[in-house]
Amino acid sequence: MKDIITTICQFVTSSVGRKVIVALTGACLLLFLVGHLAGNMTIYGGLGGGNETSWINHYAQGLHAMPAWLLWAIRLGLLAVLLVHIGFTLVLKWENVNARTKYQKEGTLKATLASRTMVLTGVTIFCFMVFHLWQLTYNGDPANCYEHIVHAFINPWCSLFYIAAISCLFMHVRHGFQSVFQSIGLSTRKIRPIFDLAAIAFGLVICGGYISIPLAVLAGIIR
Amino acid sequence: MANLNLTLKVWRQDTPQSKGSIQTYQANEIPEEASFLEMLDIVNEGLVIAGQEPIHYDHDCREGICGMCSLTINGVPHSGGLVSKVTTCQLHMRKFKDGDTIWIEPFRAEAFPLLRDLIVDRSALDNIIAAGGFIEVRTGSAPEANTMPIRKKTSEAAFDAAACIGCGACVASCKNSSAMLFTSAKAAHLNLLPQGQPEKHKRVLAMVRQMDNLGFGNCTNQYECEAACPKGISVDNIAKLNRDYIIACAAEGVGVYA
Ligand code: HEM
Ligand code: FES
Repeated sequence: MKDIITTICQFVTSSVGRKVIVALTGACLLLFLVGHLAGNMTIYGGLGGGNETSWINHYAQGLHAMPAWLLWAIRLGLLAVLLVHIGFTLVLKWENVNARTKYQKEGTLKATLASRTMVLTGVTIFCFMVFHLWQLTYNGDPANCYEHIVHAFINPWCSLFYIAAISCLFMHVRHGFQSVFQSIGLSTRKIRPIFDLAAIAFGLVICGGYISIPLAVLAGIIR
Repeated sequence: MANLNLTLKVWRQDTPQSKGSIQTYQANEIPEEASFLEMLDIVNEGLVIAGQEPIHYDHDCREGICGMCSLTINGVPHSGGLVSKVTTCQLHMRKFKDGDTIWIEPFRAEAFPLLRDLIVDRSALDNIIAAGGFIEVRTGSAPEANTMPIRKKTSEAAFDAAACIGCGACVASCKNSSAMLFTSAKAAHLNLLPQGQPEKHKRVLAMVRQMDNLGFGNCTNQYECEAACPKGISVDNIAKLNRDYIIACAAEGVGVYA
């Protein structure tokens, strides 16, 4: 019997194995996007009678009311998933660049812009995430979450950066969503176009949802 | 029947070590019905008469079955993006317009070392086959048809995968120079059939590991390979290889095979 540790090591250093890990971590991040958006949508509950009755403040306080160990387990778990995703993709990308010899005249038949800019959109998302956590989590207060968000997005530059970053996220998800199924071997000729459409639909709903918040603030719907 | 006057931008490189460059040639009075390789033959005749070195390129059957021809035309292997599912030898000059400028480069990838001009060494693909793309036991001569029932869908999928002529266009077209389409087709055509079952896990592990060792890139699911493949090999094979590799690793890990 072959040593199971050897097999695992070979899996995580192989091309296919690493793609599977990127796909699974990517899928976790996609689920996170859904959960996070669902939470964010509570902002449309409005301010109500004040800080105490605002939905999003309730939601934010609810998150903080979790036992500290659980909150940190979730945070560190997400961070680990993100770092594994980024680490593996960058190593794969590095190998891919080195495996290729450039043509004097390049031609492309099918590869989408989204698929060709995954590292660029990914790095942009990462930079945005650092800023986003600093702005709304580190400097925020769950008790007046609502006002804090309105205050942040009333600044058009802040809103613009947010919208630009979420647009990058759309590109990333548009390729990534369907890619997951291919990487873990669940795609076929018949279902591939459906996954591809689903990727666009998922991206539009999720990213549209996120972008609606700064737009609603700028339009004065949320204030 | 019209003749074409074309400008060719051709990669010339004398030795594997020397620094190559694009050279410009005029290809005049090219008959429309010539194949792309015949067009190069005409240009080469002119070069030989002028006392110059002809352009070196790979070819053999010239009927789209051997997988030897290999040019990247205007950045796209074989077809130049003009027609789908053709090899360079089956691409005809009628697809071009008078006055066109055509870029002709080798099948480029770090795993395909350049030998001369447009000729690259594609033996890395043979090495992947040698790692596991075969059945180890003697299976005898062709059995009576239908003695071993195989579902039509399965036999057709295996046949479609077996249509791969091993030309390497998938690698040359891939933005990452990945050999996944080739490897997956060669693995699938055996893995799908009953004769390929006993060695399935072993084959998948050996072929993927060999592919990784040869310096090919990693697939990013852009499907350039399928679009460039002269035989229309489907990326379904890649999904299948991914699936089979996960299962084979699990089988190896718990020791249920070999
Ligand atoms: C919330 C954030 C993110 C989500 C939802 C996400 C999602 C995904 C998904 C689903 C995939 C496809 C997996 C596959 O089958 O290969 C993927 C691939 C990838 N991601 Fe992310 N990702 C995120 C953040 C990042 C970040 C921060 C980077 C930074 C470098 C990044 C870089 C990449 C790259 C380079 C790929 C590989 C693309 C390819 O194989 O073509 N991602 N991502
Ligand atoms: S020369 Fe044989 S396939 Fe083109």
